[in-house]
Amino acid sequence: MVRIGFLFSRTGHLAYLSHLDMLRLFIRALRRADLNLAFSQGFNPHPRLTLALPLPLGVTASNEPGEVYFDGVVTSETFKSEIEKQLPEGLQIIKAVPIEPDAPALAALVEAAMYRAELRSFSDLSLENRDPGKLIQNSLEMLLQKEEILASRTGKKKKISYLNVRPYIIEAESELTPGGLAVLKLLLKAGSRGGVSPVFLLDQLALESGFPSLRAVCWNLHRESIYYQDGDTLQPLSERM
Amino acid sequence: MTLIKDRLESVLKKVQKPARYLGNEWNAVHKEHHKTAVKMAFAFPDLYEVGMSNQGLKILYESVNAHNNLLMERVFAPAVDMEAEMRKQNLPLFSLESATPLAEFDLIGFSLQYELSYTNVLNMLDLAGLPLFSSERNDNDPLVIGGGPCSFNPEPLAPFFDLFILGESEEALPALLLNLAAYKESGRNRRDMLKRFSAMAGVYVPDFFDPLYNESGVLERVKKNDSTVPARVVKNTVSNLDGAPYPTAPVVPYIQTVHDRAVVELFRGCARGCRFCQAGYIFRPVRRRSPEKIISIAKDLTAATGYDELSLSSLSSSDYPQVDELIKEIDQALRGDKVRCSLPSLRLDSYSVELADRLHQGRRSSLTFAPEAATERLRKVIKKNISEDDIYTALSDAVAAGWQGFKLYFMIGLPTETNEDVEAIVTMCRDIRDRYRGRVRGTLKLSVSVATFVPKANTPFQWEPQLSFQEIIERQQILIDGFRKIQGIDLSWHDAETSFLEAVFARGDRRLALLLEKAWRLGCRLDGWSEHFSFDLWQQAFKETGINGEAYANRRFSYDDCLPWDHLDCGTDKEYFIREHKLAYSCQDDGGSN
Repeated sequence: MVRIGFLFSRTGHLAYLSHLDMLRLFIRALRRADLNLAFSQGFNPHPRLTLALPLPLGVTASNEPGEVYFDGVVTSETFKSEIEKQLPEGLQIIKAVPIEPDAPALAALVEAAMYRAELRSFSDLSLENRDPGKLIQNSLEMLLQKEEILASRTGKKKKISYLNVRPYIIEAESELTPGGLAVLKLLLKAGSRGGVSPVFLLDQLALESGFPSLRAVCWNLHRESIYYQDGDTLQPLSERM
Repeated sequence: MTLIKDRLESVLKKVQKPARYLGNEWNAVHKEHHKTAVKMAFAFPDLYEVGMSNQGLKILYESVNAHNNLLMERVFAPAVDMEAEMRKQNLPLFSLESATPLAEFDLIGFSLQYELSYTNVLNMLDLAGLPLFSSERNDNDPLVIGGGPCSFNPEPLAPFFDLFILGESEEALPALLLNLAAYKESGRNRRDMLKRFSAMAGVYVPDFFDPLYNESGVLERVKKNDSTVPARVVKNTVSNLDGAPYPTAPVVPYIQTVHDRAVVELFRGCARGCRFCQAGYIFRPVRRRSPEKIISIAKDLTAATGYDELSLSSLSSSDYPQVDELIKEIDQALRGDKVRCSLPSLRLDSYSVELADRLHQGRRSSLTFAPEAATERLRKVIKKNISEDDIYTALSDAVAAGWQGFKLYFMIGLPTETNEDVEAIVTMCRDIRDRYRGRVRGTLKLSVSVATFVPKANTPFQWEPQLSFQEIIERQQILIDGFRKIQGIDLSWHDAETSFLEAVFARGDRRLALLLEKAWRLGCRLDGWSEHFSFDLWQQAFKETGINGEAYANRRFSYDDCLPWDHLDCGTDKEYFIREHKLAYSCQDDGGSN
């Protein structure tokens, strides 16, 4: 069994794929590439492919880690060159490396993720004479001053519970762009030990700014990097590969 | 063109499942428009997930795009949220591959698979910015054509369409488009062009035919109004499946579709001749693909798509000669690719269960069978020739092989049906439960789905009325009451309202176009989706147009009546249908020969 880790980027319209769509796409691409994918044991064997952290629908990304197992001999070079031929425009393999069989699963290492959110446009007439960039900037400050930001979750049997996600915001900065719009940088906790969705925070911001309709705000959301915990600091997962 | 692409971005951010609208899926064909003589949009009047599961789309996409100077791009009915955004932002309906507005194509071809998609056809024409009625479109507008099973009675849609292609189109459609290319160069007017097309096999131009009604509104005949067009239109049939175009590299969707798998068609047509089944008649005669061709298609398909499932599709796949041998050979050919084969429809016999057993690996949750009727008498009437013995032997075999449940399909409202036949469904299912519940691992899962019979054009039952609305409800109540007393069986049934509408349009004439237009204007669309279907709106449409739906759905035609589709030839003559219809009543069988 061979274990290969890879980094990929997602741009353009491929941002509109869900996490499950992405898994299906990668698996079909690997099957077309005729590489000997390894399967899990059990009644319904599944190809052993994981993406470290699901990418939300609508989000582009530049450094996404994933890993895959093969039966037999496949080098990281063959993997990269063969799968690239089978990927649609908008998905690119940046790097592929062998991973030690006993190294921890990539997904288990994920601690945080850095997002870049660009306020793209708003189609709300009532905001025409106001400064949407400034508005967002102020609301971010107000949001960060809160001790509690409650996110609702629908659990089993449709039971709704609330969780304070404020502690999951590690860093949040905003910057005005020349057009009067804003760019935010959000470093958020992510992965199996808890986290917050950037989409949820942007919706909160829009609410806070008094945009009457969330649908009126349009963001370009991009995931720049995924981090793991290295002692006291966060390090990009991409640098481990 | 680039305009739509740019404006699309902000729309995609606001809708559910935006990957429905991208158009750059694996194997999608992108051709240069300015270098292609004829450009066609294939319009499927339902959501992407449904349309992308349609094999006809894949076959025609292949057969047209194989020509250098032809191109075909896809478009589906937008979901409700997408439609709202498009209307708000004034975005016209566009093709997926190149985001070209539909109005810029030479031709728009609608796939007509079921009656409940008709309002989507009108909605899509409207979203494209085109007038609904063909008489209101001009020489510069695209031709609007239709094909698929419903074009065997296209009359309710006739005023919206320029022409229909009857029967199998993988050879006829490219021929028509090449003809259009020649016409475009010569630049004559639309009526001339349609006249030219109507000389082609299987092409029906409704404008050249006038329905004539008597004083009491009964259809007397459909008369051609142009001496140069043929009086009858005969369906197209592909003569040699091995030589016909077949999609070995179909578009692979990003999102999960209804049938998300590779499909190889073993044969076309069905020799069984169940009397309610339209597909069994309009796809006659039976034509087989050779095992060599099937295996080569199977290999190419899995290599080009990466699918892990291959469906061996036909109307009754286990009827393929030596299908067990074929499956062995396919397995051999795909060895190492971890592809599993599946059969879409299983007959209720031991042989089919044996096949399913061989094909299926992993957990054996449930097998699907369609006895259709629960009494031997009624099964004889509909020519579903399986005995009670066959049924129980097949189920016993399946249970012995480790299957833990069954899905069973029945129909109510079949000709000659009585309350006893309906009660027999309950009895049969109770029997099955009692017999097998101790013999499976865990609990036996039984689900029973009951549809309502819809009489279809070009079947021996085309003269039969549908059960009245009240009777449908009453017979469903027999089922509901009966199954309430049986634990552990999951019962579902089709709504009487949608079955009624299907019957209205399946046997409808040209006057229904106004009903359809009214219903659409009132807001009807996506009628096949229970969350969007509104029978209240339909009833309002009936009322406002003064059309009596019962006169269509619940009327018994006589053999002497002119049927709205009599001028269209499905390849089987009326005498045969009359004979079969009479046989149904005398409960006999002519031995299954055609």
